[in-house]
Amino acid sequence: MELLVCIKQVPDTSEIKLDPETNNLIRTGLPSIVNPFDMHALEAALTVKDQHPGSRVTVITMGPPQAEEALRHCLSLGADQAWLITDRAFGGADTLATSYTIAEAIRHVERLINKPFDMIFCGKQAIDGDTAQVGPQIAEELGMAQATYVCELSVHKDTGKVIVKREHEHGYEVMEAPLPLLVTATTDLNEPRMPGLWHSIEAKRYEIGHITLQDIPTIDQSRIGLGGSPTRVRKVYQPPLRSKVEMLSSVEEGIQKILELANIDNGQDYAGIEQGSAPNASTVEQEGGNN
Amino acid sequence: MKKLEERLGANKYYVDETSPHIIIDGQHVSKEEAMKLVNGCPAGLYTLQDDGTLAFDFAGCLECGTCRVLCGNSIVKTWKYPKNAKGVEFRQG
Amino acid sequence: MEQGVRERFDVIVVGAGPAGTAAAYRLAQQRVKVLVIERGMAPGAKNMMGGRIYTHSLETLIPDFRERAPLERQVRKERISIGAGGDMTTIEYATNNVAPDEESYVVLRAKFDKWLAEEAEKQGALIISNVQVTELITEGSGKERRVIGVRCHDDEVYANMVIIAEGANTVLLEEAGLTGPTPPHSMAVGVKEVYTLKPEVINDRLGLNDKEGMAWLTLGDMTDGILGGGFIYTNEGSLSVGMVVGLEDIGKANRSIDDMLGAFTSHPSIAPLLKNAQLKEHSAHLVPEGGYMSMPKLGGKGYLVVGDAARMCMNLGYTIRGMDLAIQSGICAAEAINVGLRDSNMDAVSKLYEKEIKNSWLGKDLKLYKHMPQFLADTPGIFQTYPAFVNDLMRDVFMVNGKGAEPLMKKMMRRAKSVGLSTLIRDAWKGVRSL
Repeated sequence: MELLVCIKQVPDTSEIKLDPETNNLIRTGLPSIVNPFDMHALEAALTVKDQHPGSRVTVITMGPPQAEEALRHCLSLGADQAWLITDRAFGGADTLATSYTIAEAIRHVERLINKPFDMIFCGKQAIDGDTAQVGPQIAEELGMAQATYVCELSVHKDTGKVIVKREHEHGYEVMEAPLPLLVTATTDLNEPRMPGLWHSIEAKRYEIGHITLQDIPTIDQSRIGLGGSPTRVRKVYQPPLRSKVEMLSSVEEGIQKILELANIDNGQDYAGIEQGSAPNASTVEQEGGNN
Repeated sequence: MKKLEERLGANKYYVDETSPHIIIDGQHVSKEEAMKLVNGCPAGLYTLQDDGTLAFDFAGCLECGTCRVLCGNSIVKTWKYPKNAKGVEFRQG
Repeated sequence: MEQGVRERFDVIVVGAGPAGTAAAYRLAQQRVKVLVIERGMAPGAKNMMGGRIYTHSLETLIPDFRERAPLERQVRKERISIGAGGDMTTIEYATNNVAPDEESYVVLRAKFDKWLAEEAEKQGALIISNVQVTELITEGSGKERRVIGVRCHDDEVYANMVIIAEGANTVLLEEAGLTGPTPPHSMAVGVKEVYTLKPEVINDRLGLNDKEGMAWLTLGDMTDGILGGGFIYTNEGSLSVGMVVGLEDIGKANRSIDDMLGAFTSHPSIAPLLKNAQLKEHSAHLVPEGGYMSMPKLGGKGYLVVGDAARMCMNLGYTIRGMDLAIQSGICAAEAINVGLRDSNMDAVSKLYEKEIKNSWLGKDLKLYKHMPQFLADTPGIFQTYPAFVNDLMRDVFMVNGKGAEPLMKKMMRRAKSVGLSTLIRDAWKGVRSL
């Protein structure tokens, strides 16, 4: 099986410290790591490879040259091939432009190896952006089936089907999905393995292939980079620290407080909820959710 | 000085939740042996309970090996380094 | 996972501390195919020390180290103190006149070891981190037993020579039966906290100029009579503050090692230095203080032992030397292996290595100070009665109270008699001779 893992090199957000003088978060100088969820994605791919001898795991990422470190870490765990999508033209991309670029690069690799990928593994979200959009967008771009928030996975190559267990707000669902399939991984999916000696040695010596704009001449340049990004980050700032927390003693008091703060004085005006009584499941609207 | 547990919070750890790297038998310990560990562990991981048993938590381990050298033949049954880079990571050293 | 031998190396080094990396550097320089295996995320991630490096041996390895090595401050002030209760008596030696081969620098190991490894990689050494050597692979038995490689969990790798640079915790050597269990009386545990302070503040508090550093060793009743002492080293923007305590009697102490550290950092002479400082790290490591007399077998068929694993460390009371010895032992190991490879006689290597050490200053210094550990162990007075004695003496000398002065000699003799004049003289004589 041809297995692809999409990873992202991110700053280690667990190391963010508070500057004692200015009370601001120090976001610079953080060590870079492979996005933790992507490690679970990689482990899933490696497990499928172990179960289907003759399979190959390819890792791919879009980023600056130092993202090679992240790729090498994956190689040291047993990935077979690694590609770095890198070009100034791809920079400044939001999730849509990123997904499009990565999808085009994936098609490029498939042409090079003359085989389509059977499965694509992504982490559920990146710890710096937290959007959880790129995985699903890549699947859409490639016209692939997708299963997100996967916490259990079993691949049945002979029937061309994958059984996945997915987490969502109201519990779990178990589905059968067709190959080819893109999955996004949660931490419950598996326990990432340790690097192996020989894999690490190979990782150190491996020549990582670069995919630049030149390699994908058919790419729609209006859809890449900053120019291809419908969303713009206007400002990144730290919200002011809340000055105090008020502890309330009951659900009723909580509802009353919320209504007060929302300037709805009389609780009886709000449909379905009587003043002084707790809401029950039938009166609270169900959200559509991101299934 | 703040409590030792709090000070250990300044450190970076990759705790291996799957397996403890040090295993002890804290049930039938002589006070003499136990005090070596209670006094000697620089992370304060060994505590003598009221009932005379010895409690131990591997999560804050600094991997110095003091407990191995002192009680490797008695209280400390297994002493290994955490797997690969798991455990403490010194950023100053 | 593929099994079997994939590639052979000339030399495998276990551990990318200064001893292992120095050996790899020198070997790679001579085009020897060397693999270094380090369990930490990067070299230095699992290492720590006080501490200071006397750079003479580093200079023989990398003459232009000053241009690239991450050195915190060059030591220009030496302090030794003896404290009792809230008192402390300190001697400070300050100098601006340090010859290049006398230089010493304060370093932080996570940075320094990482840099040294990068230098070794530039020479061609292959350094693999985040992989753990779990076992030495041997073949044969008895006198013919030979180390032929190492196991890293499920992977194996073989070489003509394995350099064991695993540090003070000689787990691999012990588990392979190549050395006996580590005796507590040979070891001490060092604990350290790094506190950040603006460089100017460090300068002001200790009377230093930019880039100038201080090494400060103390002993006293903060160790509650147990062999040991405190230390402070000045980094660029932080202070390394800690305690080294002998393991033999730690169980009998009335306080834990952390209590001792607390007694040290809260001492009236030390606490002001840490005012408004922020704790950055709390680390610890074993210190092989036994010296020459505690050194294990330095090698055998297919293996050599370097650095702390060979217990090459000297605590002389007024200074501690470990890194310069480690680097030199790595160099000696590399030289011996080079000769062995050149002459195709690997069996002669361990004897050659021992000879290299003996003939260099490394062996001579180790031998010179071989009685120091025993002296310290045999003279508990240093940690029990002498701190009070010295401080009370100083009190007598310096205090003026209007009750009528006494002749200095009389005051001193009274104090000396209280600890035993002959004991004092004998201990002083033994101490000086062990140095």
